[in-house]
Amino acid sequence: MNVVRIVFVALVVFVIQVTAIHRIAIAGCTPDLTVILLVALVLERGPVLAVVIGFLLGFLQDLGNASLLGMNALAKSVLAYGVSRVGGGLLPENVLFKGFIVFAACILNDVIVLPIATSFSVGEMVVSFFRYSLLSALYSALVGICIFVLLELLTRRVVRPGGGY
Amino acid sequence: MHLLSFLFEKHLDKTVLAIAVALAIVLLSVGDQSQIRAARAITSVLLYPVNRVTGSFASVESLKQENGELRAMVVTLYQERERLLQFGEERNRLRKLLDLKADTFHRFLSCEVIERSSSPYVHSITVDRGASDSVRAGMAVVNYRGLVGRVSQVFPWSSQVLLLNNKSISVSCADRRSRVVGMLEWDRGNYFRLEYVGKEEDVIVGDTLITSGLGLLFPKGFPVGTVFQITDEKGGIAKRVRVASLASLDALEELFIVTGEKEWNDTGLLDELEKFQVKRTHAR
Repeated sequence: MNVVRIVFVALVVFVIQVTAIHRIAIAGCTPDLTVILLVALVLERGPVLAVVIGFLLGFLQDLGNASLLGMNALAKSVLAYGVSRVGGGLLPENVLFKGFIVFAACILNDVIVLPIATSFSVGEMVVSFFRYSLLSALYSALVGICIFVLLELLTRRVVRPGGGY
Repeated sequence: MHLLSFLFEKHLDKTVLAIAVALAIVLLSVGDQSQIRAARAITSVLLYPVNRVTGSFASVESLKQENGELRAMVVTLYQERERLLQFGEERNRLRKLLDLKADTFHRFLSCEVIERSSSPYVHSITVDRGASDSVRAGMAVVNYRGLVGRVSQVFPWSSQVLLLNNKSISVSCADRRSRVVGMLEWDRGNYFRLEYVGKEEDVIVGDTLITSGLGLLFPKGFPVGTVFQITDEKGGIAKRVRVASLASLDALEELFIVTGEKEWNDTGLLDELEKFQVKRTHAR
């Protein structure tokens, strides 16, 4: 996928995340499609593009929300790099592993975002982490697994009887 | 040259990360400047059509159910209004006798939620009314149950509303029964704390809190929440008063922006409603 397509996909994901994702919320928790996209990018294209796209997506999220500008940009850039360092070389083809990486990435995202969003109030951080972060991360991981399986089915090359693709 | 080669060839990923982190920190340290407000306004304008489209999807069943509930509510409110009009007239006659200013009522602008903050830690929504509908920053936002929040930023066709459970919002509230005043601050979920209530003050479980109008941030008299727990702070001089919000802040759909005041006997909205009823009867 070339860079223009990736940017286009990133914009579509951002628009869905900001405008429509709350419609599938469970107990106030929504999957984070931007994290799923970043994990896919890191595993496919390496950390540099993922960090850049992560920064841009986070920045757009900050503009679309009433959040502090730079909060999501920081979190998404760091998580893109973190995922590339930890998860890039292990089991990139295993869907369950990708789901686990999405879960860990969501947790890392919230570990960065929560202190800023709660102005470093420890009580609020702990409550928000157990109230939202864990469930959101689990939800994102499940949605991520579904998306990865779907993408794999769609992009799988069919082996013909003659031996060619 | 060596440095550039070291940064952009050997350690490109780390360099890109460092630049991104540095930019993010710079953005975090920059306040709410006019350029940032403009960028937020542009984002809002670009997202507005998508929000309108996604917001218009609803199942027929839920619409039918909602319609039935609204009809029942309209009947109840008609009766309630008649009763209140009688009280209102009596009250204004008495206020006139005491040489007090005549009562006014609020003017509302209906609006719909078209976007919720994509982060569960930033409690804000976007509604489909903006500068083109004369909405201004600072206006209170309510639903039929009570206060919901305050307009924080106005865009051409939409506005951003900070909800009561946003950390930056505190509301001066009064107990409707005893008129004890305190500051309402968010605790978690739909629960709040009423701060600065002395041990001897008359607040009991079940009391309803309304906006006090002090500080002029929120208009007076809107219901906010119900007291559900009171405990004495150990060794302190204050009570710990816990309050449940009347409006369910995570399931907001149709809201009203309080745009100003009108005379008590201004029946514009009711006239419109009656015209609508007549039109529907003729159509049948």
